[in-house]
Amino acid sequence: MRTGRFMVALMVALMVALMVSMPLIPAAHSAPDEDSAKLLKSTSDHTKFKVLQQEFNSGPEVTKACLSCHTEASKQLHKTEHWKWEYKSPDGQLLGKKNVINNFCTSIRTNEAACNVCHIGYGWKDDTFDFTSEVNVDCLVCHDTTGNYRKQAGMAGNVVTKAMEFPPGSGTMIKPINLKKIAQAVGKTSRDTCGACHFYGGGGDGVKHGDMDSSLASPEKELDVHMDALGLNFGCATCHMTEGHQVPGSRYAPTAQDKGDAHIRGKEYTTNPTTCQSCHGQAPHKKIAKLNDHTDKVACQTCHIPKFARGGVATKMSWDWSTGGRMGPDGKPLIIKDAKGHIIYTAAKGDFVLGENVVPDYQWFNGKVGYTLLSDKVEKSEQPTRINHFDGSADDGKSLIWPVKIMRGKQAFDPVNKRLAVVHTAGNDDTGYWTNFNWEKAVAVGMASIGAPFSGKVDFVSTESTWPITHMVAPAKDSVRCHECHAAQGRLEKVPGIYIPGRASDHAGWLDTAGWALAVLTLLGTLVHGLGRVIVSMRKK
Amino acid sequence: MNRKFGLAVVVVVLGAGAMSAARAYDSDWKRGRIYYRQICTTCHTAELKKPIAPNDRTMAEWASYLQANKHNKGKDTVSSYFSKQYRDSIKAKNPAAAKYADVPEKDLIEDVKAFVHKSAKDGDAPAGCS
Repeated sequence: MRTGRFMVALMVALMVALMVSMPLIPAAHSAPDEDSAKLLKSTSDHTKFKVLQQEFNSGPEVTKACLSCHTEASKQLHKTEHWKWEYKSPDGQLLGKKNVINNFCTSIRTNEAACNVCHIGYGWKDDTFDFTSEVNVDCLVCHDTTGNYRKQAGMAGNVVTKAMEFPPGSGTMIKPINLKKIAQAVGKTSRDTCGACHFYGGGGDGVKHGDMDSSLASPEKELDVHMDALGLNFGCATCHMTEGHQVPGSRYAPTAQDKGDAHIRGKEYTTNPTTCQSCHGQAPHKKIAKLNDHTDKVACQTCHIPKFARGGVATKMSWDWSTGGRMGPDGKPLIIKDAKGHIIYTAAKGDFVLGENVVPDYQWFNGKVGYTLLSDKVEKSEQPTRINHFDGSADDGKSLIWPVKIMRGKQAFDPVNKRLAVVHTAGNDDTGYWTNFNWEKAVAVGMASIGAPFSGKVDFVSTESTWPITHMVAPAKDSVRCHECHAAQGRLEKVPGIYIPGRASDHAGWLDTAGWALAVLTLLGTLVHGLGRVIVSMRKK
Repeated sequence: MNRKFGLAVVVVVLGAGAMSAARAYDSDWKRGRIYYRQICTTCHTAELKKPIAPNDRTMAEWASYLQANKHNKGKDTVSSYFSKQYRDSIKAKNPAAAKYADVPEKDLIEDVKAFVHKSAKDGDAPAGCS
């Protein structure tokens, strides 16, 4: 009897204790408290896994531990563009970072140890990299939640786990990272993890895209209405809905026009989930329905991203490599900054023009992008060589007017063989341009790496590349106003093949004269009629 | 028996309470980043025209500054800018203050501490103002 009572007492006490010590899990539809929110994030506490309680001396050691549970992860990754850096376009062009050339840092070839700090792998320093290795996949670069995971440029994507001087002899010490702590805190991808590479494309913060830079890591609503850290707080994967590590929405496979409806649960879709329409549908403007009449010709981004590089980070608008190599009065490589402290010239890279709060260019785009590849012949002329170009026209039924960033440059080419040059820039060796400032040596190594002929001569050619603007979506109140396009010299003044009322190029003088004449006649008629009434009324009196 | 029952309840409840209290607050550096940028930096930019970047100082300097709890050369305290009263006073114009209006002051301080610690000049991930 006594034992029974004691057991009951103990049970009651334990229940009370549980109520005190455990956070209450709320219903899924209500806002969870802080403790519950944390618990709801994951069913796994990675600190409790024995395999992650060891000290790790390299990235591959961590991956090996990850694979002991997530057995198929690397196999999935191996099929992605993030891993292969290669993409075959519908037109048969072999693209991806492995193959294309651009007018920023130009090409990864012979510069892998530096550029491939952004590859989701460990150790890609040259052509010998093993793309079949499972442990060379870098899980942490996407799944770190501590914000402390980093890779050092120049180390082929490897991480530093012991303090070291890098580059050797530079006197610069690299702080190691604690892989054990980072591995125990893995979680979903975030703006920080994706941004660690995508915000820094082209060699620095905001350099390449214009609509992606570090200001999006924790943005305010005015900068991006979806990513607003205090509001909707979208991560990249909220739109780039990933399955089996395949991230949709690559600019190599863009969707210029989505004629589908908003995606709903329970239905299977094969269309791109990153488009605006996949959430907002085809008639998103409820208050001013007239705006829906624009959606068959104008991309959502055209009105809803009024300017890019709005977060306080400048983007590069042009890059002239031909002026590189100047030394300062002290004999050291020259660096020039503007009044805001932005670098606008370096001996290693030449002159830059930077832009903030930039109004985009606009052009028809049907989703097809053509590239000038390393094997293509180029001619030096008044017209810049198009590194890539967006196809599209007003009447192909597939195009919309899109906002774009046009990046202008002047870059090395071989005037005899008429090819854009692969330049060996990075590397602490005698042929790296950033070390010795000798174009001929640097291009010779670069061209040899792709088996291309090199005449020994280097000239410079003007180039242009086109980048879609699709992030930094402003709140509706800040979107482009009607009069910014429906006006002389408005935003869309140069877009061909379409009639836009109010535009200077669509202006017809005779129509204006006729309209004004009709208005004056109407006014006169009204006045005469009114006068007649007054006179008749006075006579009756 | 009643005494035993009471004792068991008291012991277990106290033990659980102690466990609960001992659950260390797991600071949220991302929330600290928002607070630092949208409240501290916003005000410093408006008032002083020159914000203080996390990587302007070392981890030790940040720790010492927060420990000393002296703001504006000792004219007021750092913690007062985390107080509910302060957040209430600016929440009409500051969305971060509105969003975090009911978060315990000490949690927010810990969050910002975690952010500046990792973002300091010698931290694991040095960070500037943006």
